[in-house]
Amino acid sequence: MPDWQNFEPFIVSGLALGGVYSLSGVGMVVLYRTTGVLNLAFGAVGAMGAFIAWSLINTFGWPAVLAYLACVGFGAAVSLIYGMLAGPPLAGRDPLVKAAATIGLALILLGSMSWIWSDKARSMVLPTTNWRYSVGQVLINWTQIIALALGVLITLTTAVFLRLTGLGTAMRALANDREITAALGVPVRRVEATTWVVSGALSGVAGLLMSNLVGLDAATLTFLVISSLAAALIARLRSLVVTLAAGIVIGLVNALVTPIFSISPYRDMTPFVLAAVALLFLARHQQVSFARRIT
Amino acid sequence: MRRPTTSEVRRPATVLALLLVVVLVLPPLLSAYWIDVLTAVAIYSVVALSLNLLIGRVGLVSLGQIAVLALGAWVAAKLAFVSSIPFPLVLLIAGLITLVLGTLVGLPALRLSGLYLALITLMLAGAITVVLSTTNFPNGGPGFLSHTESSFGNPAVRRPDIASSDPAYFRFTVIVAALMFALALWHVRSRPGRAWAAIRQSEPAALAAGVNITLYKLWAWALASFMTGVAGGLLAGSVGKLYTYQFPTRDSIILLAVVLMGGIYSLWGAVVAGALMKLLPALLDDWGLPADLLIILFGVGVLQVLLTAPGGLAAQVPKDFARMGGGLSAVVRRRLAARAERAPTGTAPQEPAP
Repeated sequence: MPDWQNFEPFIVSGLALGGVYSLSGVGMVVLYRTTGVLNLAFGAVGAMGAFIAWSLINTFGWPAVLAYLACVGFGAAVSLIYGMLAGPPLAGRDPLVKAAATIGLALILLGSMSWIWSDKARSMVLPTTNWRYSVGQVLINWTQIIALALGVLITLTTAVFLRLTGLGTAMRALANDREITAALGVPVRRVEATTWVVSGALSGVAGLLMSNLVGLDAATLTFLVISSLAAALIARLRSLVVTLAAGIVIGLVNALVTPIFSISPYRDMTPFVLAAVALLFLARHQQVSFARRIT
Repeated sequence: MRRPTTSEVRRPATVLALLLVVVLVLPPLLSAYWIDVLTAVAIYSVVALSLNLLIGRVGLVSLGQIAVLALGAWVAAKLAFVSSIPFPLVLLIAGLITLVLGTLVGLPALRLSGLYLALITLMLAGAITVVLSTTNFPNGGPGFLSHTESSFGNPAVRRPDIASSDPAYFRFTVIVAALMFALALWHVRSRPGRAWAAIRQSEPAALAAGVNITLYKLWAWALASFMTGVAGGLLAGSVGKLYTYQFPTRDSIILLAVVLMGGIYSLWGAVVAGALMKLLPALLDDWGLPADLLIILFGVGVLQVLLTAPGGLAAQVPKDFARMGGGLSAVVRRRLAARAERAPTGTAPQEPAP
């Protein structure tokens, strides 16, 4: 076993990554609970937003802040358009079909990204990455702090929002039963549209942070959604607080294994293994029945 | 004994004729490059077939089929390097070992259904890919992994003695693939196929009707793993040297896309899917178009299939042709009728005499 000192820098990077996993996980869980759509294009939307921000800054010379806003806005806009176009025709279908349809969106975005921005390698550096200071031996930058803080903040805000506001109540009602909610006079389409916008904006934020923490690469960012999905799955696509905790644990374990050389090459398995074990554990009493399954 | 109907005779005859053309006529006409491409099409049709069966017949979605393919390729390469058993047996054993591995994974996972099953297979595929990127594929090196880092003069995975050249290996691949399709067809037409159909409609109803749903779901899973394992063996022999980058997670997603586009309710859909996945990129490359276009196209295709055409291309194209044929013949008939009206002498029907 290496010394404790070797682990310290990885705690910071693990927490930062975990924060973004949580952020993405929460975005996906809220959308899934409200609309029944598990958005597998979550990573692709954020990635494309990050690429657009990069181009706006480096090719068109926009101020950085505007470009970041454009990234978040792009995420919200694309998600809203997709939700409005593909949502209603698929509303009555199986969750699996809805998820498969988002694979279509993910492939369209992935193809467009590798087509438009294929010419050279790029890197995205948020200005906060250059503001750094050291705690003991460890160098911390503000992007990492923001990532973790945003993860926690957004989870808690969303949880409180769902609990206390009228829109939040409507969203929770939709999560329970779409038909009854509609019958009670809740404007289902409008609530769903709002959820798509919020979730899309979160994907933009996550894409921006990820492109800085992991690198600006279309395929990597698109498929990072699987790691965030692992956090959401551990929470059974249900609990926001568990998603937050699972995201941070995944990020931490993934990073902390790095200095242990014997298992270090396998560290990227962390989200998959944790999610698989959690799913299998949660499904151990699953039985076949005619009763409507509460997912 | 009843006499077989025309379609019962015509369809196998068509398939057989098509197979003969592919095996005998095509290889001499094509360059080495296109033979390679078509070999890949045949191999990936088998992979697509396994997913086609799982989704279309049983209603199970796996997002990890490419990882299973990689497992099969790994096992076949290992067997080919450490033993001297004939290649067809290597394929069979690789298929069986993949079957066991796939079933071990499937046994707990099959408790989940629908979305959760798809997601856990995606997770497991991710895990398998990470392991394989560390262990790498056998290339004749020492030890259990049979892998050596030196990239010089590593032997390729051997091929069967009768099919060592590329055209011969293409024929071999097509025949093995055809056997896999026959195996699938036999399953669909007999008892398991009926059980699967019941399960796909409603698991509780199937259970109530006395179908052993655990057995038949597991059977489908095992069959799909077996086929994919055999395809992995074929792939090992085809490319000779295996690398992890040949099995990216994105391919599992793309496989789902092409299988849905090809059509999940017909075994032909699997052939279409194989062609979409391996022939189309080569064609685009040949025409000088970027391969990224194809990914966009697949994305659009998935949305189109799920929103409007659940039968996929295999169902849609014949329907469209029939509709086009019907439309054309209607136009022709109308033209003829119009001409008949313009020329009242002779052909026009005579007014009845008052």
